[in-house]
Amino acid sequence: MGQAGHRIDVVGLTKRFGAVTALDDLTFSVRPGVVTGFLGPNGAGKTTTLRCLLGLVQPTAGTATIDGRRYRDLPDPLRTVGAALEAASFHPGRSARAHLQVMALAAGVDVGRVDQLLAQVGLAEFGGRRVGGFSLGMRQRLALAQALLGDPPVLILDEPANGLDPAGIAWLRGFLRSLAAEGRTVLVSSHVLSEVQQTVDDVVVITRGTLVRQGALTELDAGPTAVLVRTPTPEALRDALGTSYDVSELDGRLRVVGGSTDEVGHLAHTHGVELHELAAEASDLEQVFLAMTTEGEVVR
Amino acid sequence: MSTTTAKPALVRSELRKITSTRLWWGLLIGVAIYTAISAGASAAFAGVDPGGGQPPSPPLDTPEAIRTVYASAAFSGAYIFAMILGITGMTGEYRYQTITPTFLAVPRRVRIVLSKMAAHIGYGLAYGAVGAVVALVVGGIVISIRGFDLGYGTDRLWPSILLGVVAVAIWTLVGLGIGTLIRNQIAAILVAVFVVFLVEGIATAILAATDLDSVAKWLPTNASAALTSPGSSQLEYLPWWAGGLVLLGYAVVLGGIGLLLSSRRDVT
Repeated sequence: MGQAGHRIDVVGLTKRFGAVTALDDLTFSVRPGVVTGFLGPNGAGKTTTLRCLLGLVQPTAGTATIDGRRYRDLPDPLRTVGAALEAASFHPGRSARAHLQVMALAAGVDVGRVDQLLAQVGLAEFGGRRVGGFSLGMRQRLALAQALLGDPPVLILDEPANGLDPAGIAWLRGFLRSLAAEGRTVLVSSHVLSEVQQTVDDVVVITRGTLVRQGALTELDAGPTAVLVRTPTPEALRDALGTSYDVSELDGRLRVVGGSTDEVGHLAHTHGVELHELAAEASDLEQVFLAMTTEGEVVR
Repeated sequence: MSTTTAKPALVRSELRKITSTRLWWGLLIGVAIYTAISAGASAAFAGVDPGGGQPPSPPLDTPEAIRTVYASAAFSGAYIFAMILGITGMTGEYRYQTITPTFLAVPRRVRIVLSKMAAHIGYGLAYGAVGAVVALVVGGIVISIRGFDLGYGTDRLWPSILLGVVAVAIWTLVGLGIGTLIRNQIAAILVAVFVVFLVEGIATAILAATDLDSVAKWLPTNASAALTSPGSSQLEYLPWWAGGLVLLGYAVVLGGIGLLLSSRRDVT
């Protein structure tokens, strides 16, 4: 891997296919050393953005660059950027090993790396098999091996979890985290937040070709915080909490909005209220994501 | 590093693409079978009165007949398959979407096409050579059975065979050019075979009948025939070198138009 610190910058990116505007003045950036989730519903423009970034699609306006350079101006593209765009880009009659050999030769990468990469993505024993017989999950792994051929500092993966079983998703999660820990820039697109929720540090959320939100995943967690309390004497607890909190009943528990578990626990203790359960309500990121992407600009 | 030249590693990558699937030897079997039939049939019927008042073809003791059995049959048995190999060399990338990783590895699209041309010329020469060997063996057997001399020492036979092999190689380039222009594999093969087998033959017949030989000889199949130079009863061919250049011209023009159209086209 080359020296760390490759940024991806998308500035004012606009792409129209005839009358359809796929991307509308999209701007965001991706920093190295973390996994960035590129999120949005199907048809939001994620794949078009990635294809513009990789020089496969000509933007109508704006730029998408890697360290300030367009993909087609990179002197050694596969050693700089590894991309896995779709799991279908294989000749069904060609073996996994031959596919990687073809790519290695074209990219000027040592062909001896091929078997090592097949092992790295868990396909060591399938290298000689024709890809036509591969499951979607195996194709995803092969696509990942292809992306890693040039040991690139930047990785761009389009829906890499598609077709992976739960064990595969867990494997992918660890794999991506370790790649980012090595200082690489990792951009992973997905239309399902929960799929990447435990993997990504940053998120870029787009819908209908425009940016909705960019930042740390933890900042998404900005919904109203609440405390869930279970007690045999709910009325006593309501009295103890007074009027400064919004208290409601939920599934046999009290839901207290506006306070922390510390505050609620302290008040219950000082008023001698017996508690059987005291917990912070998990904010549902998926709900936040859904609200963001369906209502567009609301949560900016 | 020039941006428009093909690097050796890139040519090797393109060669590996061909060897790593089974199409090339399927087509090669086609070359062997089709050439065997062409050479065998033209040896069997050379000089035989076809009846119906038509003149017989030259008999097997003439140089024209010998060159037809060996050089002409070797070419005509191989070039269609060479063309199809060239077409699929380009259209297969679109059919299986491998064009995406191909362009990711080499964003300069011209270099991909040039490397493909270099790789396919090698295969075209091999196809032509196999066709020549099959024609010499099968044609030779039939000639011997009919009691004629093998005629391997016939005047201008070996230059014709060699030029025929070169013509086959150029047809892989014509195929690549067609595939660059028409990216749908089935459509490209159908159009190409239709034009070569039907349109060209009809056009040649019409042009010859209306004394427009000077136009007919520029058609790709007739330009190829100039390289293998059998005695034609229908029309005068171009000089062999001009025929080769005309054929190359078709490949370059088709591929050039295709490149112009595709070099900036979105790959989605």
